Amino acid sequence: MLTRMKSAVANFMGGIMAGSSGSDHSNGSELPMRFPYVRPEFLGLSQDEIECSADHIARPILILKETKRLPWSTGYAEVINAGKSTHNEDQASCEVMIVKKKTGVQSTPNKTSSNKRRSSLPNGEGLQLKESTEVDGITFQYWALFDGHAGAGAAVVASKLLHHHIVEQLQDVVDILKNSAVLPPTCLGEDPETTSANSRTLTRAASLRGAAGAPGSPSTPQTRFFTEKKVPHECLVIGALENAFKEMDLQIERERSAYSISGGCTALIVVYLLGKIYVANAGDSRAIIIRNGEIIPMSSEFTPETERQRLQYLVSPTKEALVHLFLNIFLAYKTIEEDDLKFPLIYGEGKKARVMATIGVTRGLGDHDLKVHDSNIYIKPFLSSVPEVRVYDLLQYEHGADDVLVLATDGLWDVLLNEEVSEAVTNFLACCDPDDPHRYTLAAQDLVMRARGVLKDRGWRISNDRLGSGDDISVYVIPLIHGNKLT
Amino acid sequence: MAYAYLFKYIIIGDTGVGKSCLLLQFTDKRFQPVHDLTIGVEFGARMITIDGKQIKLQIWDTAGQESFRSITRSYYRGAAGALLVYDITRRDTFNHLTTWLEDARQHSNSNMVIMLIANKSDLESRREVKKEEGEAFAREHGLIFMETSAKTASNVEEAFINTAKEIYEKIQEGVFDINNEANGIKIGPQNPMPGPTGPHNAGQAGGSCC
Ligand SMILES: Nc1nc2c(ncn2[C@@H]2O[C@H](COP(=O)(O)OP(=O)(O)O)[C@@H](O)[C@H]2O)c(=O)[nH]1
Ligand SMILES: [Mg+2]
Repeated sequence: MLTRMKSAVANFMGGIMAGSSGSDHSNGSELPMRFPYVRPEFLGLSQDEIECSADHIARPILILKETKRLPWSTGYAEVINAGKSTHNEDQASCEVMIVKKKTGVQSTPNKTSSNKRRSSLPNGEGLQLKESTEVDGITFQYWALFDGHAGAGAAVVASKLLHHHIVEQLQDVVDILKNSAVLPPTCLGEDPETTSANSRTLTRAASLRGAAGAPGSPSTPQTRFFTEKKVPHECLVIGALENAFKEMDLQIERERSAYSISGGCTALIVVYLLGKIYVANAGDSRAIIIRNGEIIPMSSEFTPETERQRLQYLVSPTKEALVHLFLNIFLAYKTIEEDDLKFPLIYGEGKKARVMATIGVTRGLGDHDLKVHDSNIYIKPFLSSVPEVRVYDLLQYEHGADDVLVLATDGLWDVLLNEEVSEAVTNFLACCDPDDPHRYTLAAQDLVMRARGVLKDRGWRISNDRLGSGDDISVYVIPLIHGNKLT
Repeated sequence: MAYAYLFKYIIIGDTGVGKSCLLLQFTDKRFQPVHDLTIGVEFGARMITIDGKQIKLQIWDTAGQESFRSITRSYYRGAAGALLVYDITRRDTFNHLTTWLEDARQHSNSNMVIMLIANKSDLESRREVKKEEGEAFAREHGLIFMETSAKTASNVEEAFINTAKEIYEKIQEGVFDINNEANGIKIGPQNPMPGPTGPHNAGQAGGSCC
């Protein structure tokens, strides 16, 4: 992400780049880090192993160790970039969480290690058969991917804290969710026109325009398995997830005064709660379901290009905003030639598009200090922390052992089409023993290998001599067959 | 911890020959009779001393199965040393050495030091490959040779350290370009004469200490 950002800025500004990029201390602050740099907790790596894994030359593909288990036998694999940044700026976390009704004193997600967390390792084996409506709370499974830019800080913080914000938000509605007889309050105003073709998209983010018809999902099969009316319970969960993202972003903003939290990150999360899978996405990671060889997109990417409408909507309805914006630019560039004043809101096209020539994703967490290069214009007002949430009813279909939900950062999707990913996973799983607990991790390793490729004389190459991904790549392969056991 | 040099090793050979056990014996000084099958890559690290200098060995243990071969191949790059292991109680693992060696030569840098290891020397009664055969193969292909036992720890220490000595000698002779990280050697922060430095080199030292 960073390289692209850097080169876009460099192109625009004629090659002048301020600050260093590879280092995570580039903001020059003396503040302590909120969390030290880590790899996902569930990988259980020692410091030496983390050091070995950061090899930009051989780029080892890390997988889940044999002794570690994730909920639902989820598979996971990751690889570091080809040298664009010292660290792997992707982060991941996976947890089994319990939501209990709030009792008096409000707990803040800052204080981690509370009783909300059932086990320090996301080993949900014992939990998954017990359906979530226990007497004293609701259990949910949580998978998350964060892709950091301009430092690993925000991604690490989000990977450590976002699930606690989700618990916090769900606490307010836990009673209603548990007791289906209680009628929930009316769903907040959604915009029915933004409902996408393949899965319902209930989100206030969508009402900001721009989510609908987002490109980047080459195939949009006309699967219509959401035919029933909106289910209010879903709305509550969606609202909770949206709020959790916003709260996470606000926490990062607040804590900037006490800690160094570098850069920003995208966030793609999956929550399994009461029979439904919720996919919340802010950024350019992607989730697809592969069911019986068929692709069901579960997210859309938020980039300057896909959000052109939302961004322009932000500016255009009130002339004032526009005037204000250009005033800022004038103030920043009053000494510059007339030509340079035409700072476009969106600069460039396709994967290279940038908001004001600065950043390649328009939704995510962090980036509070990001400014248009060489200016005092903050980018943050143009970014949004609100995710798009899609819902998939896990119980409406009898899933097979090879039906999976694939989550990955843009490192994978930049070089492989949905169809290629689907074909690779389907073929891979067909060749492995259906009872092998490692099969999903091996499938994830195979996907990372296909996207990374092998190092040849002319760089990393994948099939058909195409360019492999030089970015950090992280992949979850989540089997959906566990849904069958839950009914 | 500060070191003068860091050497990267890779351990290769058929599945079941004792690669993971050799690594565990070297890093943790213990033998674990039932080791999980390696399905990706696993890492180990240990500090040794050669010529009064602290050297950090970073060891990559790979999966031997045919289905992981293309992934394993991609890890030869950037290795300064390789331990090629066979099992003296299974002749087929000895017969496959040629294939492994071809793979290694093709995908590694030409200066990589290769140590041929005949493992499970404690199982003398079940021996299928004579020591002389291993020695002859090593001589023919220009490899160093040792018989080891990951179980009794016999020669394990020596196998890893002798490989490092060979790499160290090559550095002294100027065979390795130590400023090229693709050779599997990094200069540590405490090295008295780090050689010609550029901005690239400074970055390496910084990245390796944290
Ligand atoms: N007797 C004996 N058994 C060994 C020795 N090294 C490994 N083994 C056994 O050989 C099997 C395979 O070892 P492992 O390290 O997993 O092989 P790898 O597939 O090459 O990593 C295990 O059951 C070990 O207990 C050895 O030196 N002596
Ligand atoms: Mg092994």
